[in-house]
Amino acid sequence: MSFKAFKKGMHNFTTNISIIINTILLIIVYFIGVGITFIFAKMVGKHFLDMKLSKGSYWKTLNLKKKPMVSYYRQF
Amino acid sequence: MYILGISCYYHDSSAALLKDGKIVAAAEEERFSRKKHDTTFPDLAIKYCLESQGITIDDVDYVGFYEKPFIKFERVLSQHLECFPLSLKVFLSSTPSWINEKLRVVSKIKKSLKYKGDILFIDHHMGHAASSFLVSPFKKAAIVTVDGVGEWTTTSYGIGEGNDIRLLKDIQFPNSIGLLYSTITAYLGFTVNNSEYKVMGLAPYGNMDRKTNPWYNKLFKVVDVKDDGSYRLNMKYFKFHWADRMPSHAMCSLLGGPIRKPESEVDQRHKDIAAALQMVTEDIMTKILNHVHKETKCNNLVMAGGVALNSVYNGKILKNTPFKKIWIQPAAGDGGTVIGVVHYIYNTILGNKRTYQMTDANLGPKYNTEQIQTFLDKNNIKYTTFKNDNELVKTSAKLCHENHVIGWFQDGMEWGPRALGCRSILASPCNPKAKELLNTKVKHREKFRPFAPVVCDDDAAKYFDCDKPVPEPTDYMLMVYPVFKKWHKKIPSVTHVDGSGRLQTIRKHQNPRYYNTIKEFGKLSKIPILINTSFNIRGEPIVCTPHDAYKCMMGTGIDYLVMDKFLIKRSENPKDMWDSEKYAID
Ligand SMILES: [Fe+2]
Repeated sequence: MSFKAFKKGMHNFTTNISIIINTILLIIVYFIGVGITFIFAKMVGKHFLDMKLSKGSYWKTLNLKKKPMVSYYRQF
Repeated sequence: MYILGISCYYHDSSAALLKDGKIVAAAEEERFSRKKHDTTFPDLAIKYCLESQGITIDDVDYVGFYEKPFIKFERVLSQHLECFPLSLKVFLSSTPSWINEKLRVVSKIKKSLKYKGDILFIDHHMGHAASSFLVSPFKKAAIVTVDGVGEWTTTSYGIGEGNDIRLLKDIQFPNSIGLLYSTITAYLGFTVNNSEYKVMGLAPYGNMDRKTNPWYNKLFKVVDVKDDGSYRLNMKYFKFHWADRMPSHAMCSLLGGPIRKPESEVDQRHKDIAAALQMVTEDIMTKILNHVHKETKCNNLVMAGGVALNSVYNGKILKNTPFKKIWIQPAAGDGGTVIGVVHYIYNTILGNKRTYQMTDANLGPKYNTEQIQTFLDKNNIKYTTFKNDNELVKTSAKLCHENHVIGWFQDGMEWGPRALGCRSILASPCNPKAKELLNTKVKHREKFRPFAPVVCDDDAAKYFDCDKPVPEPTDYMLMVYPVFKKWHKKIPSVTHVDGSGRLQTIRKHQNPRYYNTIKEFGKLSKIPILINTSFNIRGEPIVCTPHDAYKCMMGTGIDYLVMDKFLIKRSENPKDMWDSEKYAID
């Protein structure tokens, strides 16, 4: 086996390992972070998306207009 | 002052450069990377923008980004929280890209471009709104933006006046006409964020009668629409808020069968569903626009967002609503927001006067005669040179009249999704076989797809039942109008099954060679109209460089290429022939 092939194999191995570790970490974050928040939200009846049909207008007030310069530097 | 606008990581990445209040360059990344709907950071489009002005990134005063990434991330997290544990798969597949790139826009811009200046973040729908209002001919206008989704907003309206824009009301995710349209597009077996226009083209083959189309009323179970145009989706019919597939089982049951497999037969039910979707979309849009007119009391309307590319509906707006004038951003999708971003920074945030109006879309790379000749000589391509413009125009018109298909490569590449006579394929609309020939031998695409006619602005009203005066969005192929009945049989290749045509009007100042060729063709055929279709094969971005154009011609049934003042005949260059058919996939 050449050194090049060995290097390529090692690279693939580390990539696969990092994908597995990342996936495990994300599953933990999902079930602990998202899951627990979901349970609390259920308990207090909080919804994160507007999905309920109702009788009145669905337009929401946005009132988006020119803001102070500093707000445009923010990503939120 | 230079301002660079950037959009990426979601739909079509793009960049635009503004110099002292005027857009001097703009292009989508896909044209350079040759990857359709490329979403990656637009390094190549930015490089083009800077090189076109002979500047470096150090000369740029501001960089503007087309959305607020953290707000969008908040929305994505809200989807996961609302849909736990169904959203696990999407959480695992999408979170790495949020961590690695979407939440690191500042460091990406600074590192990739070696940029040290200010970076400003503009709300996504404000970018759409500015892209339609600030470059429009209007001092005051009602603004409507409708897309799939930005950060939270999916539909908004407001008023633009002078340099200022106020977006008054909105509808938020997951309620979205764009996502409704995309979901049915997916149900009909077409690719989302790519083939919505095919569904629009399929609709006239279906039953366009609201009373007898069985799916029309059924679709109103999916969306609850109020008289003021506000609406909400019934989410039991959708999956897009937690899965990568869009229609749910309930939607499949409602529409009488499973999702159509791509490339399988499109039957009458599919066509009727496409028709019902188009009618429902039109009904919602009409209600929205009537409400917006009532609220804003403006007679001028500007629009942007992906839904504003629904040219079939656009052609009905001035007839069906009280608006008197209309302007639509040619790149109404997400790529086009960069135009809005740079103008919003220059005109609204920095308070500079509006001095620019978009009157053509030739904002992409240009190649001069010398560059093209060098390309041809270097590659041993056989060609002839036109003595002057008159010969170019006469020969091109004659070739079209003899039913040849010609590739047309002139001036700066078009901004937006349509080819408008700079990177176009031209043919005679009078040839009854042209539609099939172009669909099978050149574009390698579905047989039902119609072609678009191009007509000089002063001839449009003779052949098309269009609004008068012809609205400017028609110049960008954004309006579909009926073809007068007496012409249906004379121009069959550009008359859709319902007797309509998605025409492009061309004004002389926009592209004199193109304009004159159409007029000259009219002298020969008695009908001054040509087929204009984009210079590409199915699934490939529109050509950008002389190399792309030559390669496309040599792989398809295009007979001639008119590139600047050179004429290249395919059959004279057999060494470069290849077959593009197997590469034609969406
Ligand atoms: Fe958008």
